[in-house]
Amino acid sequence: MSRDRLLRWWRALRYLIVELGAGFASLGFIIIGLAMTPLLIFSGGWLIAPLIVRPLRWWAGLARERNSRHRGGSIQSAYIPLPTSPSMESSLRVTFSRSTGRDLLWLLGHGLITPVVTLLTIAVPLSVVNSLLVPAYWYLAPAGDPISSPYPVTSWAAAAWMPLVALGYALIAWWLVPGIAFGLRWVQVAALTPGKKARLSERVTALTASRAAALDAHSAELRRIERDLHDGAQNRLVSVVMMLGMAERSLENHTDGALPQLRRAQEAATDALAGLRTMVHDIYPPCLDELGLEGSLSAVAGSSGVPCTLEVSGLHRMPAAVESAAYFVVAEAVTNVNKYSAATRVNVSVTCDSSDPEDMLHIVIEDDGRGGAVERPGGGIAGIRRRVEAFEGTVQLTSPVGGPTVMRVELPCGW
Amino acid sequence: MRVVIAEDDALLREGLALLLRSEGFDVVAAVDNADDFLALLDDTDAAVLDVRMPPTFTTEGLKAAETARRRRPGFPVLVLSAYVEDRYAGQLLAEGAAGLGYLLKERVGKVAEFVDALRRVADGGTVMDPVVISQLLSRRRADDPIRSLTPREHEVLALMAEGLDNTTIAARLVVTETAVSKHIGNIFAKLGLSTSDSGSRRVLAVLAYLRT
Repeated sequence: MSRDRLLRWWRALRYLIVELGAGFASLGFIIIGLAMTPLLIFSGGWLIAPLIVRPLRWWAGLARERNSRHRGGSIQSAYIPLPTSPSMESSLRVTFSRSTGRDLLWLLGHGLITPVVTLLTIAVPLSVVNSLLVPAYWYLAPAGDPISSPYPVTSWAAAAWMPLVALGYALIAWWLVPGIAFGLRWVQVAALTPGKKARLSERVTALTASRAAALDAHSAELRRIERDLHDGAQNRLVSVVMMLGMAERSLENHTDGALPQLRRAQEAATDALAGLRTMVHDIYPPCLDELGLEGSLSAVAGSSGVPCTLEVSGLHRMPAAVESAAYFVVAEAVTNVNKYSAATRVNVSVTCDSSDPEDMLHIVIEDDGRGGAVERPGGGIAGIRRRVEAFEGTVQLTSPVGGPTVMRVELPCGW
Repeated sequence: MRVVIAEDDALLREGLALLLRSEGFDVVAAVDNADDFLALLDDTDAAVLDVRMPPTFTTEGLKAAETARRRRPGFPVLVLSAYVEDRYAGQLLAEGAAGLGYLLKERVGKVAEFVDALRRVADGGTVMDPVVISQLLSRRRADDPIRSLTPREHEVLALMAEGLDNTTIAARLVVTETAVSKHIGNIFAKLGLSTSDSGSRRVLAVLAYLRT
C-alpha cells in the first residue's frame, strides 16, 4: 500500500465531503428556487430572470471548478452573455437556453441525490472508526443495552469480533470511496459539460453578441478619436490659420501687431503638434508592438517618479484596441499619481482571469497619497472613463481626502 | 456693428473676438454655448456661431441659429464649422437665405474675405462655403442641364451660389462686370431660372436649383 494511493484515497474522501456540503447547498438553492417560481411567473418574471440565472451560473461554475480541481482537467462552459439591459426577449432567451436547462438539471440531481450518496459513502469509513470504538461503548454503556452495529453487541465476546468488522468496513471503504468519488465526478462532469450541439449553438450566440458589442465598441472608439481630433488638433490649426491671417492683415495695414500674432500662431501650432503626438501615441502606443502590454506597463512603472510596483498575471493576447486602452489607463493613472497625489508609492496590478467566462481585465492602481481626487470634465480621470466605457468597461475611483486613492478598472478583453 | 460670438474652444473664441474687434466690430460677448448666445439675442446685430458646442457637441450651433431666426426673422447668423455638409446648409436655408452664412472654420484665415462675408451676412446677404457648393455641383445627374454649362459659366455659377455679387465675381475671375452679367444671363437661361432675382434671392434660387 503506497503512500500515493493512500493520498488518493484521502483526496477522494475529501471530495465526497465537499460534495456533501455542496449538495446540501444545492438543495437550499432548489428550495429557494421553488419558493420563488410563482413569483417569477406572476410578477413579470423576465425582469428578475437574470437575477436567478446569474447565481445558478455562479453555482454551476463553482461546481465545474471543484470537479476540475479534483483529478485535473477543465470543464468548459458555454453561456450566452447575460443581457445588460433586461429586455423581455433576451431575458427569455437566457432563461430558456440549453445551458440554463442543463444547469437546472444538474442542480436537481446534485441537490437531491448527491447528499444521500455521499452521506452513505462517507458513513463507511466512519463505521470503521465506530466499529473499533464499539468495545469502549460496550464498556461504558449500561449493561443489557445492546449496541447497534451489524449485529447487536451484548457481550465481551461479541465486542471482541469488532476489529474484524472494522477491517471489513475498511476494505469496503477502501474500494467504495474512490469508486463513488469517481462515479460522482463522472456524472457531474457529464451533466456540467455542455453537449456538442449546445456548445456550438451557444458559442454562435455568444459570438454574435460579442461581435455586435465589438462593433459598438469600435464605433464608440472611432467617435472618441474623432472628438479628440476635432477638439484638439483641428481647432488648434484653425487658430493658427486665424492668427496668421491677422498677422498678414497687420503687415498689410502696416500696424505693429504682426509679431505677437506670429508668435501666438507658432504657439498654437506647437500646441496642435503636441496634441497630435499625444493622440497618435494614445491610439496605439508604439511600445505595445515592441514590448507587448506587460513590457510596456513595466516601462511605465519604471519611468514613474513615485516608486511604482507592478503585478501582472494571466495576461494573454488581447485585441490591440483593448491593449492600448489598458496601457492608456495605467499610463494616465500613474501620471496623475506623479502629478497630484504626493504619494510615496504606487501599486499597479493588472490581472486577467481566463477561467472567468466574461474574460475581464482587472486593473487596480493604488497609491498612498493625499487622496481627494475628483473627476473633472476633460480631466485625466474623465479621459480614462471615456476610453474604458467605449469598451463597456467600468471605472471605480475611491479617493477620500487624506488617501489612499484606489482606482479599479475592468475592461472586457475577450471580444 | 454689435456681434456675439459663440464658440466652445477658448483659444478660438478669444482669437475671433480679437480679430473682429481689430476689424472694427463691436464684440458684445464671446460665449461658449448656445444658450448664453440666445440670452443675448436682443442686444446684438449679428452672430458668429460654431456648429458643435456643449452639451452634445453635435449641431447645437445650427439649432441655435434656427431658434434665433425664428425669434428674430432674418437675424444675421454666420455659422462656422470644422466640416461643412450640404444637408446642414439645406437645413439652415429652409427658412430663408437672407442674412445667412455657412463657412468652414479655416476661412477665418483670409481675414479680409471673412470680414467681408460677415458684413454681407449682416447686410442681409447670403454666404455659402465653396465646399458646400462643390458638394452640390458634384452630385448632379447625367442629364442635368448644368452639364451644358461652359467651364466659365460653371465657375460663375459656383461663385454666385457662394453669395458673391457681380462686381466681386468679376474681380475674382479677372473679367469685366459686363462679361459676368452675360454669363449669368446664359446660366439662368440654360437652367430655366428667372433673371429678375438679385442678391440673396438669386443665391437662394441657385441653391434651390442645386439642391433639387
